[in-house]
Amino acid sequence: MRLLVAFLAVPSLFAAPSFEADVLPLFEQRCQVCHNDSNPQAGLALTSRASLLKGGKGGPAIVPGDASASLLLAKTAGDKPAMPPVGEPLTAEQRALLAAWIDAGAQGGEAAGGEQTWWSLRPIERPAPPSAGGNPIDAFIQATLAEKGLAASPEADRRTLIRRLYYDLHGLQPTPEEVRSFVADESPEAYEQLVDRLLASPRYGERQARWWLDVAHYGETHGYDKDKPRRNAWPYRDWVIRAFNDDKPYRDFVREQIAGDALRPDDPDALIATGFLAAGPWDFVGHAELREGTRDKRIARLLDRDDMVMTVMSTFSSMTVHCARCHNHKFDPILQSDYYAVQAVFAGVDRADRPFDRDPATFRLRREVRARLAQNELALRPLQEALAAQTNEGVEALAAEAEEIRKARTLLFHAKTAGETPEQKAENQRLDGEIERMAAEAKKLDEERNSLMRGLLPAADRAELERLEQERKELIARQKTLPEPESVYAAASYFDSFGKFEPAIEPRTVSVLARGDVDSPLEPAVPGALTAVKVLPARFEVPDGAPEGERRLALANWLVDERNPLTWRSIANRIWQTHFGRGLVGSPSDFGRMGEKPTHPELLDWLAAGLRDSGGSLKSLHRRILLSQTYRQQSASRQDFAKIDAGNQFLWRQNRRRLDAESVRDSVLQAAGRLDLTMYGPSDEHFFFINDHSPVYDYARFDIDAQPTQRRSIYRFLVRSVPDPFMESLDCPDPSILTPQRNVTLTAVQALAMLNDPLLIEESRNLAKRLRAEGEGLDAQVRRAVELTLSREPQPAEAKTLERFADEQGLENLARLLFNSNEFLFVD
Amino acid sequence: MRKPIHQSLSRRELLWSWGGGLGGVALAQMLGREGLYAASTNGPAPKAKRVVQLFMSGAASQVDTFDYKPEVARRNGQKFDPGGKVELFQSDPGPIMASPWDWKPYGQCGKMISDLVPHIGSQADRIAFLHAMVSKSNVHGPATFLQSTGFVLPGYPSMGAWLSYGLGSMNDNLPTFVALPDLRGFPPNGPGNWSAGFLPAQHQGTMIRVGRPQPIHDLFPPQGAGFVTPSSEKATLAALEEMNRAHLEARGEDSQLEARIQSYEMAAKLQLSAPEALDIASESPAVRKLYGVDEPLTQDFGTRCLVARRLLERGVRFVQVWSGADNGFPRRNWDSHENIAKDHAQMAGEMDRPAAALIQDLAATGLLDDTIVYWTTEFGRMPCSQGSLGRDHNPFAFTSWLAGGGVRGGVSYGSSDEWSYKVAENETFGYDVHATVLHLLGIDHQRLTYRHNGIDRRLTDVHGRVIDDILA
Repeated sequence: MRLLVAFLAVPSLFAAPSFEADVLPLFEQRCQVCHNDSNPQAGLALTSRASLLKGGKGGPAIVPGDASASLLLAKTAGDKPAMPPVGEPLTAEQRALLAAWIDAGAQGGEAAGGEQTWWSLRPIERPAPPSAGGNPIDAFIQATLAEKGLAASPEADRRTLIRRLYYDLHGLQPTPEEVRSFVADESPEAYEQLVDRLLASPRYGERQARWWLDVAHYGETHGYDKDKPRRNAWPYRDWVIRAFNDDKPYRDFVREQIAGDALRPDDPDALIATGFLAAGPWDFVGHAELREGTRDKRIARLLDRDDMVMTVMSTFSSMTVHCARCHNHKFDPILQSDYYAVQAVFAGVDRADRPFDRDPATFRLRREVRARLAQNELALRPLQEALAAQTNEGVEALAAEAEEIRKARTLLFHAKTAGETPEQKAENQRLDGEIERMAAEAKKLDEERNSLMRGLLPAADRAELERLEQERKELIARQKTLPEPESVYAAASYFDSFGKFEPAIEPRTVSVLARGDVDSPLEPAVPGALTAVKVLPARFEVPDGAPEGERRLALANWLVDERNPLTWRSIANRIWQTHFGRGLVGSPSDFGRMGEKPTHPELLDWLAAGLRDSGGSLKSLHRRILLSQTYRQQSASRQDFAKIDAGNQFLWRQNRRRLDAESVRDSVLQAAGRLDLTMYGPSDEHFFFINDHSPVYDYARFDIDAQPTQRRSIYRFLVRSVPDPFMESLDCPDPSILTPQRNVTLTAVQALAMLNDPLLIEESRNLAKRLRAEGEGLDAQVRRAVELTLSREPQPAEAKTLERFADEQGLENLARLLFNSNEFLFVD
Repeated sequence: MRKPIHQSLSRRELLWSWGGGLGGVALAQMLGREGLYAASTNGPAPKAKRVVQLFMSGAASQVDTFDYKPEVARRNGQKFDPGGKVELFQSDPGPIMASPWDWKPYGQCGKMISDLVPHIGSQADRIAFLHAMVSKSNVHGPATFLQSTGFVLPGYPSMGAWLSYGLGSMNDNLPTFVALPDLRGFPPNGPGNWSAGFLPAQHQGTMIRVGRPQPIHDLFPPQGAGFVTPSSEKATLAALEEMNRAHLEARGEDSQLEARIQSYEMAAKLQLSAPEALDIASESPAVRKLYGVDEPLTQDFGTRCLVARRLLERGVRFVQVWSGADNGFPRRNWDSHENIAKDHAQMAGEMDRPAAALIQDLAATGLLDDTIVYWTTEFGRMPCSQGSLGRDHNPFAFTSWLAGGGVRGGVSYGSSDEWSYKVAENETFGYDVHATVLHLLGIDHQRLTYRHNGIDRRLTDVHGRVIDDILA
């Protein structure tokens, strides 16, 4: 071994490898995913000389001066070495390097004192831009470019800039008139004024809401089996649009979505904001059909809270806390007890419709009545259980009789046929009559049995039960005297029960689960968050018996604390991503070790600190980015630079981006002159719907003429189980999964959708109609068509070709051609 | 040790990162027909290339099909008392209920199979039965996901999408992964069962609604798009290519723009190939009869099984054929809570002959050697009765089976207890079947990964064990 080392390890002939320069980078690259200081696997951290000498379960990792006696070399030897357990074995050169370092006495690495805090958990300092004067963003970007031997690209032309700005901020194209006036405006302030105008438009909130709802995995059906519609989810969608348009400070934006109802109980909008927590899928059968106490019901609840934990922590902290459900996080300093601490925050809530009123007095009254109803229900539950347990022979006989009738009724129900002949219809009718009669009979028996059981209850209990039932009746009657409320699907500790779905009212007990198994509970969990954010207390001081909202409020306050570095870095990175297609951190919801590291850590911190320290205005952050030269660059590639940085992570140019599904659909409608800009309210259904036991959503059978569906795509009704095939072909994501960044694909199915989808056919026809109405003569019509779809005038030769095409194939086919062009679908 | 696949492909990653690293540009995949896995050479030796999954939606009863339990027949009508509390989905356990069907031995292996599925019985020597299947959920939605995607939650890629991602396409004119839903409607979770989840959209199962006027969405313009004619289409595609080429030329190199130009060529090929693949008119009367495509009971499932064979022989990698729709009323899937004799007779009557025909036909054409037939359902049914004639869910023991490419025929692996209530030996999860199928396709299931939301996701999550006992 020694000999081989000397032969291969050329560097060792000259000088011993350095720990910092040679050894540590190798450990970082191949070993520290497991052997780090936060959660050292087998107790071994490969982070410093001291930690190597201390070693792990197998003893010290190194014997300084003797590589052949060092465990580190033994474990990595051979074709199929024990370590690393994944990926290729270390190369001979890498092992030679380690051996040479050990043989030379394993020097260095003492001062390091273990690995540093992971970048995303370090406090945010506000770094000074590398050069004074000028735009600080450009200063940061250009310093890195210079370092890498790259340089920024020149500014894009005005037509490109206005189209880019419109799609980034509104998801729509500029009108030809807007393009003309911007291109003609010679004022140096024209660009800045355009940015301000776009940020002030209500279209801005509609565009921003879309990516936020991707992150929150907002959908309007429950998902799973029997994908039932959620008719009252949309108020939350409207809340998000308004929040962006009003430039709600990010601090409030976060707090309201997690605990708005606890923060401002009188404000219906704050309640609506908690629609965030309920945005994800919900297992209808698991909650509403399974009986209390069954294993599957406990699993359904565990997974429901798991979704809340994952959504909140991925969205606001960009940490994968959900990876610690069964064990401590394998890569990040997140403890299993942290995970259950966040679960405990949501111990008192489910997802359900919550009524609210715009009139403050009514809303106050309703909340009073419902608070009393909740208390009444809590008091009733043990008495109802006691009642259900009462039995004697008479009770059993009545129960058996009712059961028999129900069984027979079920058989009759299934004896019905779907037949259409008069005989079959008559038979079905007869069966229906029987079924009804049997149901009434069974109900009568139930009532008899119930009164018998009541008689068996101890007198005091019976009296109390009756008092509570009477009180309940009165409260419900009182609630009915209030005006009809509005409703929002949101986080709810109290709601009207249905099926076997009952509210928690008070926080349920959440225990740490060994291996994540509901049958292996350990100690009860205390509400809290991440211990890794060391400057903040990781467990919350919420007194026992405090309303559950206090727990959520504590988490909200933990998140928005200005000492919490994750929150501010996370949002600054997401906003950056909206303008470059990629964040400064390429994994926007994972700032851990399995995620990507920031390409420009100082710039990220400068943006995050700026946002945090100046009131949390997202519009200001957008503005800062949009005014930079970095944003305004051309997108054209250069071969020499592409060789150095093919992925353009250092931003030597702007990225060319394909439009997202919503922008495509909205732009098609816009060009055809049919876009309806009516905002807010219940969602538009672009499908044929049957409200069955298992509802049917059918896009193919939808009659596009029957129902107006020309509003922006943000107002589409989002079905989880059955996606709109047109939108899906353009990578509109499944709302069951968190989507911090959409995929971009270019497929045959997508090409077919752009060619043949009824929407494209219909709007090609409408655009042709518009062209005929707005211009006389083919040359004017072709010019207008190009302006309306590509935001520019056609070049002379191009105009000739297109005129010939339109002359031969008609304006409808011209419209279809332009909608299918790469220029329409991409933003430079 | 070996590298996870996604880390070993720098060339491909480079391609993907072009155009701003937008999270996956299709060009890499469109240029290289091979999938990510095909680029590496150190997986298990492949035995099969294709898979057809027959999915019995609603939970097919093992007690009435493949899991023979004389004890259940003997104790018909007695109280069901297997020891311990019996926790059912909807009901309290009724008495033991014998299967309404008789049982007979089939083939050289002598496998006991019920009269409900005699045609499949005739293929017993080609089949490996898995009798110790268990599900992690007793609810249709999550359990169906578990079989189709390996997770109980929505949003994960289907097995077919993983294969498309891992192995790529074997053709350049048809999709890699096709789903053939029941004509009556979608199973629980709908198209979520053939979703690409977080994988790029080209791995999505293409839904073909055999029997509908437009089986593939948007394959052709809708009726009433009168302005699109064959000659306008030709002119449009030519003009489009010219425009897009000029656009690309003005912008220099961009793999995305190039890929999109090519996507129209692939679309045109699909328009030519798909109708031909779906047209069963050219099949011989003998084959039509074998699948039962001309008889009302077997017409839908039979036609789809036959279409599946046509797709497989044209290079489609994974075909999912669904038997049964949602859990609605009147019953239109295998969820026979009320009347097993009536509702299972209907479902099995539709399925049995075509499923057996598919095996026979694949064998006759030589495709069975490298095609896996994978018959499954989300969970089983109880040996005791629900109501008086139905059976409730049983996630503790059910049967799946495999046949074809690399699978040993005429064997049974794992067993349930004397009731077919719980597993007695060799507990088998969907993960294990998934791992086994991947193994037969030459994929180490632990190495087929995709990074999503901070985790290297796998079809088999953190589980999965190749079932060596059923490998040929």
